[in-house]
Amino acid sequence: MVTTLTTPQTNTWVDVFATKKGAVYQSDAERCWYVDFAGKVARFDYRCLLKLKKAVYNVDIEAKLLETTKDPDVEIIFICACDHTYILTLLQIIALKEILEGTFVMLQLNQILQDRLYRIAV
Amino acid sequence: MKDLIRIRSLISAQVETLLNQQVKKEAYSSSVYLAMASWCNRNGFDFSSDYFFKQAEEEREHQLKFYKYILDMGGNAISPDVSGIKQEYNSFREVFEDALDQEVSVTQSIKNIYAQCLKEQDYVTNEFLNWFLKEQREEEYKARRALELFEVIGEEGTGRWEIDKHVGKIKYDSEA
Ligand SMILES: [Fe+2]
Ligand SMILES: [Fe+2]
Repeated sequence: MVTTLTTPQTNTWVDVFATKKGAVYQSDAERCWYVDFAGKVARFDYRCLLKLKKAVYNVDIEAKLLETTKDPDVEIIFICACDHTYILTLLQIIALKEILEGTFVMLQLNQILQDRLYRIAV
Repeated sequence: MKDLIRIRSLISAQVETLLNQQVKKEAYSSSVYLAMASWCNRNGFDFSSDYFFKQAEEEREHQLKFYKYILDMGGNAISPDVSGIKQEYNSFREVFEDALDQEVSVTQSIKNIYAQCLKEQDYVTNEFLNWFLKEQREEEYKARRALELFEVIGEEGTGRWEIDKHVGKIKYDSEA
């Protein structure tokens, strides 16, 4: 099922991380994330979010910058068994990578907070 | 905000990556030992060939142990590509030198995962790794003992034939 929205449901979603170029929200109720980027809001479950991260991190940005061929500098981010495909320029990839890096730092921070506040006996 | 990631998986992404690399390393070891079994067999060292067949099987078991652990903890186990296996050796001794190198590299690799787990306080994975640390004691001992046979028996005359016979008898039975 492809879930693509145009506007974020910010009343039920929690902000995870945002830049001027886009944002990631978490829905506790649906146990998933929504990625607001490149003109669409796409739903990602746990597996798909990890696949998106891997796909974006695997783009060799430096090599792309040094490339001298006349090919258009677009990259297709296709995530196997997930519903979304992104067709992005190099600048967009850099922007998405920044958003994802921030997102995973925040998710890790959230884990530390949950541990400290609720999980560890004191 | 719910901790959705921890709910899904006991191990961190980093530990998962390291464990998958270890899966590959064990699969590689298994293939290396299989090539050694073939070389020894072709060159008339039947006891050593049997020894390496057994080692190849053990490495496959190690691979599956890591593989299943990753899955059981909620991670994604990746079936590894294995290539670049050396098929020919210059001497009987070289086979055992390579075998020891391989075991040393496996020990170091497991120590590295252990260190990462300590850093993350992933004591669950550390406890899982304890079995492998003990196993490496035996693996390195056996590989080192085999090489020692070349020193104490010597390769001259029927030396290699004698060494081969003793390789089949190498055992490690420390209870400590
Ligand atoms: Fe092993
Ligand atoms: Fe081994």
